[in-house]
Amino acid sequence: MTGVTAWLEGSALGVWTRESPSIWAYPTILTLHTIGLGVLVGANAIIDFRLLGFAPRLPLPSLSPLYRFMWAGFAINAVTGVLLFVSSATTKARQPVFYVKLALIALALAITAAIRAFTTRDGLPGGAGADPVPPRTTRLAVLSLIVWTGAIVAGRLMAYL
Amino acid sequence: MNGFAAWLQSTALSRIIVQYPWIWPLCEIIHFIGLTLVIGIAGFFDLRLMGFMRRVPVAAARDLMPLAIAGFLMNLTTGATFFVGKPDQYVNNLAWWAKVFCLVLAGLNAMIFETTIGVRTMALGAGDDTPNAAKIVGAVSLASWLGVLYWGRMLPFIGNAF
Repeated sequence: MTGVTAWLEGSALGVWTRESPSIWAYPTILTLHTIGLGVLVGANAIIDFRLLGFAPRLPLPSLSPLYRFMWAGFAINAVTGVLLFVSSATTKARQPVFYVKLALIALALAITAAIRAFTTRDGLPGGAGADPVPPRTTRLAVLSLIVWTGAIVAGRLMAYL
Repeated sequence: MNGFAAWLQSTALSRIIVQYPWIWPLCEIIHFIGLTLVIGIAGFFDLRLMGFMRRVPVAAARDLMPLAIAGFLMNLTTGATFFVGKPDQYVNNLAWWAKVFCLVLAGLNAMIFETTIGVRTMALGAGDDTPNAAKIVGAVSLASWLGVLYWGRMLPFIGNAF
C-alpha cells in the first residue's frame, strides 16, 4: 500500500497538484470539490426534505432532473477527489477518517439509489400534498440526510485529524 | 479597519474562540453543511428562475427556501465566529472582501426580485417559461452564491487565511 501511495504522490500528477503555484492547480481543484459537494448533497437534500413533508406543493416527479445534477456533482467530486488524494496519497491513506468518508459515501449512494427506485416504483403523484410517502421511504430520507451529512463531517475532519 | 480588527481580537470572545481547538473545526463543519443547503436549495430556485426544470411550479420551488435561509444563518453565525476569532486574517484579505461583495450582490439581487417581479413570477406554474427579467435575477443569484463559495475557498490561497 505504501509503495503505491508513494508512487502516486511522486507521480507528475501528484507533484503538479501539490506543488504547482498556479491558481488553477490545488485551489481550483479544492473549489470544484466544494461545488460538487454542494450540488450532489444539496440535490439529495431537496428530495429528502420533500419526502419528509417539506414543500408539499412540489410534485416529486418534477424533481427527477435533480438526479442528473447528482451525477454531475458526483463525477466532479470523483475526479477532483482522486486528484486531491494523489497530491498527498501517503498521508491520506493513513487517515482512518478518510476510509470512514469513503464508506459513508458508498452507503449514501446506495441509499440515494434505493430512494430513487422506491419513488419511481411507487409512482408518487406529488401535487398538492396528497401523496402519502410510505414509511420505509421517509426512513430512507432521514438516513440519507444523516449519512450524506456524515460524509461532509468526515471530509472536513480530514483537514484536522 | 486594522484598529477595529485589533480591538476585536482583544475581546474576551475572540480569545475564547481561538483558545479551544475544537471550536474552529466544529464551525468549519457547520459552515460546510450550511453551504450545501444554500447552494442546493437556493441554486435549485435560481435554476427554475432561469427557465430550467420547468415541470416545477415556481412557488413550490420557493417553498423550500426556509431551508436555504437556515443554511445561510448557520453560515452567518459560524462565519462571524471565524471573523471575531481571527479578524486580522480577513480585513486585509482581498478574497474576503470579494466574498463580502458577492454576499451583498446576492442580497441586493434578492431584494430587487422580491420588490419587483417576485409576485408575478411566483404565479408561474408547471411548464411555464420564465420572463427574461426572472432569468437575469436567477443567473445573477447563482453567480453570486458561487462567487461567495469561490472566494471563501480562496481565502487561504490569496490572503493566507485558514
